[in-house]
Amino acid sequence: MSKLKSSCKLGILSRPDGSVLFSQDETTVVAGVYGPVESKANKALVEKACVEAHFRPKSGLPGVKDRLNESIIRNVCEAAIATAMYPRTSVVVVIQEMQNNGQLISCALNAACLALLDSGIDMKCMFAAVTCFIHKDESLVFTPPINEDQVKAMFMFVFDSVEKSIIASHTDGSFSVEQYKDALSLCKEECANMFDFFKKSLTIK
Amino acid sequence: MSEQYKILHPVKYFRDHLAHKIRPDGREFGEYRPIVVNLGSISTADGSAIAKVGRTTVVCGIKAELCQPKAEAANEGFLIPNVELPPLCSSKFRPGPPTEQAQVATQLVADILKNSDCLDLKTLCIFPDKLAWCLYADLICLDLDGALIDACVVALMAALKSVTLPAVQYDPALDNKQVNVQERKALSVTNTPIATTFAMFDDKILIDPTVDEEDLSTSLVTIVVKEEELCFVHKPGGCVFTEEQLLKCVEESTKRATVIEEIIETAFKSL
Repeated sequence: MSKLKSSCKLGILSRPDGSVLFSQDETTVVAGVYGPVESKANKALVEKACVEAHFRPKSGLPGVKDRLNESIIRNVCEAAIATAMYPRTSVVVVIQEMQNNGQLISCALNAACLALLDSGIDMKCMFAAVTCFIHKDESLVFTPPINEDQVKAMFMFVFDSVEKSIIASHTDGSFSVEQYKDALSLCKEECANMFDFFKKSLTIK
Repeated sequence: MSEQYKILHPVKYFRDHLAHKIRPDGREFGEYRPIVVNLGSISTADGSAIAKVGRTTVVCGIKAELCQPKAEAANEGFLIPNVELPPLCSSKFRPGPPTEQAQVATQLVADILKNSDCLDLKTLCIFPDKLAWCLYADLICLDLDGALIDACVVALMAALKSVTLPAVQYDPALDNKQVNVQERKALSVTNTPIATTFAMFDDKILIDPTVDEEDLSTSLVTIVVKEEELCFVHKPGGCVFTEEQLLKCVEESTKRATVIEEIIETAFKSL
């Protein structure tokens, strides 16, 4: 099975505290992190930092679909950032889509993790997202088929770096419990490669 | 006394209950709330239903309109769900544009419909590239007490099954359509996806959480099942689940799905 080709450039933007240009195969996003910054009075939480996520599509204004992406990104980041260390502040994660070849959400999440690491904010753990696809012929692959009609189902899992347990799961299409289990174990193996990639990228920097 | 205790120390109050293997509303961990389905509640809609999951109430009304199909899918009609969370349903919401939660719920319901393939959009097409049905499914939450997606999906599926569309005759040469309101036909809904939400709190998994439990819990999972197949496993983040816990949830939701399917069928029989 072909592995995913990931590449990244850290610190490409000057204004954000952490930024990254990240691509997985043909899917590319830019992520920026501001934080901890002063938060709006109505959003400030007394005992922890408030995490905000903004997802910008390639063209046009963010729609209802992007709200779902935002809510996933926000929830995952919230689980990973040590929010209790920054009470009454905000951490803003901004993702700009550049190119989408099928695994946009997982690419956005990996970029968010790298941007958070780049910003130096305290985190409880790293997280890595892996997407895999089931072909119409029931085979499991990481790279999306060229023809969208060939995809029976899509799985996206997010794992934490400490215990490799599931932070988030998102699926598309219908599938059996067995296929879900297979995809889960396959993605779990792959996530180790992602964590190695994160570590390598940070040491090069 | 317990009322003050609940307000002052909500987490401890909840934890004390769970330590005695019971939830604040008297349920056990794996026990779900009663489900009520009422059909044809809105006489002006083409199909409608009210679903209650515990106290969570969602009304679904489906209106059909004639429209032109999109150029890229010339032989398909439309099914557009929209979830509304008005200020009536919870103190969390204020009047104004749809909140983030409402938009996320709308997208989740749309994804569930797409994933489950419960309604073939091709059956909504009357004449390719010229005329098709557009079904607007408006889901309005009257009372929000947790497990919103579960209630929305039950209401939507019951409403979809009760939709009848008038016969339409279309003459492409003259671009002339005739609607026969007397002769109505039901939609062919091929399967019934059923959603079940779980909340996790201190390693304990609670099925069908109330809004208080959702707020206190560290993570939520929504699992959608149709005919022994899964069509959506959505966990937006939060604290971690082990594989075994997740698979246990899948098992529980399959069991609950058969019960809910029966409830919807019974509602149709008594119509």
